[in-house]
Amino acid sequence: MPEIKLTNVAKRFGKFVAVDNLNLDIESNAFITLLGPSGCGKTTTLRMIAGLETPTEGSISIDGVTVVDADKGINLPPNKRDVGFLFQNYALWPHMTVYQNIAFGLENLKWDKKKIRDRVQELLKMLRIEQFETRYPSELSGGQQQRVAIARTLAPGPKVLFMDEPLSNLDAKLRMEMRAELKRLHKDTDSTFVYVTHDQLEAMTLSTRVCIMENGILQQYAPPLEMYNSPANLFVADFMGNPAMNFVDGKASVTGQTAEVTFGSLHGTFHADYPIDLKGQECVVGIRPEFVHITDGEGPEATVYSTLPSGMETTVRLDKGGTGITAVVFGGVDYPADSKVHFTFSGRAILFDRAQNGKNVAEGRLELK
Amino acid sequence: MQQTNAKGFQTRRLLGRVRAWFSKPANVILLLFLVALTVLTLYPLLSMLTETVTIHTGREARAAQLSAGSIAMYHFQRLFATSENDYSWIQFYQPFLNTLLVSVAASVIAILFGGIVAFLVTRTDLKYKKFISGVFTFPYIMPSWTLALFWETFFKNVNIGLKTSNGIMASVFGIYMPEWFVYGAFPIALVLGLHYAPFAYILIGGILRNMDANLEEAATILKTPRIRIIWRITLPIVKPAMLSTFLLVFASSMSAYSVPVFLGSPVRYYVLSTKMKSLMDSYPGQAYIIVGVMILFGVAILLLNQKVTNSRKQFTTVTGKSGQISKIHLNRANRPVAILLVIILLLVAVVPLITFALESVIIKAGDYSLSNMTLDFWIGRDLDKRLDQGDSTGILLNPKVWNALGYSLGLAATCAIVAGTCGILVGYGVAKRRGSKLASLVNSLSFFPYLMPSLAFGAIYLSMSSQLPWLRGFALLALVGSVKYLPFASRSGVNAMLQLSGEIEEAAVITGVPWWKRMVRVIFPIQKSSFLSGYLLPMVSCMRELSLFVLLVPTSNTILTTMLMQYSEKGWAQFGNAINLLIIVVVLLVNFTVNKLTGASIDKGVGG
Repeated sequence: MPEIKLTNVAKRFGKFVAVDNLNLDIESNAFITLLGPSGCGKTTTLRMIAGLETPTEGSISIDGVTVVDADKGINLPPNKRDVGFLFQNYALWPHMTVYQNIAFGLENLKWDKKKIRDRVQELLKMLRIEQFETRYPSELSGGQQQRVAIARTLAPGPKVLFMDEPLSNLDAKLRMEMRAELKRLHKDTDSTFVYVTHDQLEAMTLSTRVCIMENGILQQYAPPLEMYNSPANLFVADFMGNPAMNFVDGKASVTGQTAEVTFGSLHGTFHADYPIDLKGQECVVGIRPEFVHITDGEGPEATVYSTLPSGMETTVRLDKGGTGITAVVFGGVDYPADSKVHFTFSGRAILFDRAQNGKNVAEGRLELK
Repeated sequence: MQQTNAKGFQTRRLLGRVRAWFSKPANVILLLFLVALTVLTLYPLLSMLTETVTIHTGREARAAQLSAGSIAMYHFQRLFATSENDYSWIQFYQPFLNTLLVSVAASVIAILFGGIVAFLVTRTDLKYKKFISGVFTFPYIMPSWTLALFWETFFKNVNIGLKTSNGIMASVFGIYMPEWFVYGAFPIALVLGLHYAPFAYILIGGILRNMDANLEEAATILKTPRIRIIWRITLPIVKPAMLSTFLLVFASSMSAYSVPVFLGSPVRYYVLSTKMKSLMDSYPGQAYIIVGVMILFGVAILLLNQKVTNSRKQFTTVTGKSGQISKIHLNRANRPVAILLVIILLLVAVVPLITFALESVIIKAGDYSLSNMTLDFWIGRDLDKRLDQGDSTGILLNPKVWNALGYSLGLAATCAIVAGTCGILVGYGVAKRRGSKLASLVNSLSFFPYLMPSLAFGAIYLSMSSQLPWLRGFALLALVGSVKYLPFASRSGVNAMLQLSGEIEEAAVITGVPWWKRMVRVIFPIQKSSFLSGYLLPMVSCMRELSLFVLLVPTSNTILTTMLMQYSEKGWAQFGNAINLLIIVVVLLVNFTVNKLTGASIDKGVGG
């Protein structure tokens, strides 16, 4: 149950900067998600920790042992780091049976035959794939291949488990199922998990902490709910949550902890919990869709643009004088398009500063006028 | 104090980087090959370039009126700008134009024939497909002179060429073909075109087979007529493959030697390669300039091909989604077209073998009656008492032949193992470090021997070996063969490795599987058939190679192909034909045994 420490890690491919000055502490037994759009450097980060890629700068330690240090010239090969790696396309060896796939790594560790057989049986049972022991990967479905890949990764009992978008090749239903299995696996194996994904829902539901990256730069590192409620900036706020947060450009005049805000065709007073650090007037108001309430007569009027009922909840897209606002209503309600409704805000809103690259400068209550 | 600290820090950092770089097997492999290939390909090139400005002893020194060994631009001036007796025109410009004409014509023939057959086989419900696609690669597997020799023996007559004897056409059917039909540009282009048509078939067929049927189906849904779909959708998609084929066939035809020797030289029709050979003895300086011109052409073609294949990426439309391709129904045309194709293929692939067999059993040339036939040339004894020329025993009882066959097989196997293994390693290094300068440099270097005309390659290595006493005999032949055929092996190695996702190997790295074990236990088994094709192609090519080895063999009896040449030079036609048939049968046998046992095939190594 080791902790992993990244210090000033950078990776450059020629002039292209994949990861820049990354500092990260992964506490032992955590389930960490590296989240971000494709090309943000999350996979590169994972591969550097695993030893499949060498950082250009900085150092990484696992369980107190420095595994790589660009300045000291230390670079332990992956197999000396006691890690497991689950690949996106499983990377099962097509010419070996399920049993051979799982046992191959153990044979290299010079385990004796009986011990290998017992361990493979244990894993086959644990992942409920006993009946496929003698099959080849091509004879298995995607979900079964995934289980074999997990078994192979777990076989040597690694202290740290890395996963690179392991669920992205599965269909929606299977993905849900495997998420639950992975979370259970995390508890059962007592290891540290580092997980790469571009799916914010996966990050939200699985991890103890999320590390969100953009263009190789760490944006925020926090537990998922904290990240959802207090995103560090516009990028994080936009990335976390589905349907996405409402953003409306506006102007604000600040007096201490309150601000008068004009956004879209709306006006309101923002009551923050602490002094607002807005440089200039340009700001973006962010409101989560679940905090937009559709009412019968209270609040300003808007036109229904479209309604997307999904049974358990309904996403309603409203048009207020050219500004689009998304609301989520519990239960299946079908508002006819082009009908008139009213809406109010409740809960918390966030003020982002345009002048500071969309930094979160205030959280609090927004009262509409 | 602080300065030394900083210095130590810098050194440690640098050392660490160097160590990290060398800890990756791909880097080590690429570096080794960079050094080896530089020595083995660039050094010959440089030594050849110095030959073009060196005055050699003998006729050259006398003609130039310079002392042997001196450096001068004499050869260039002589070859390119001597109007006296039309010297430059005859020695260079005419053969140069002939080469262009023949190569372009051969490329067009190869693309038309190979492309049409590829289309018919992949996109229509043609009959006898299995036979057609099976036999189609025959001409490429057989030695290139096979068709040429067949053409000559079949059509020759006493009115044309060397005016020696009548072939089957004249003696059996009484038809005397005109000279242009039997010798010169037309038959050379046709024979080369047919020999390289399998390139077109494999490259274009590959694209057609993998092309997503949705592309055509989308057009069908939009009510596009079938013929318009072919013209506007299918053809543009295979265009890059056609261009690739054109360049490959062009380059191969340009450096072909044996075909123009058989079909051109008897009527003094020269191309660059044959001219080069004839100049090599008396004016080597000028011969090497011609080699240089051919290499320049080759490099230009390689660069062009790279450009084409790079832009081809946007056309790789393999999605693997819809495999159901609606085949065009040929209806009433089906049987006639199929039968026509079968006849052509029989003529190209099977009739030559029968002809050789026939020619190897007749006693007096031109007489094909049964009374004139004997198996003596195969299994006879004490022939010298009955015949006025030739060996004393038939080839199957002749220990010299068996020795040569053994030597040929051993040489081919050695070259195949060396070239094939190196090809896999190059493929591994290039694929792992894809995009890096080092990788593309090694990749280009490993392809370079392909552009060197075989004869010139042999000549250069001959001069190299005179300085290296240990490089003699088998070692020399094996080295030259391995380097020359490396391009085939590295092509298939690179292709196979690029298809393999890096994760497959990394999954083994994580569990600490050492590099050699990853290669042997994981990578090789998965891409076995592609890798084995990388061994097969050098093996087959080496078995039938003549021009590369002709200058390097210790004696003409060393390998089968030079033995064949010796026999035909002596005019022992029956022995020659018998050995020719023996070579072809062995090559076909090797090819099909490997193919059946392992699934490797020539197709996978060609082009790329």
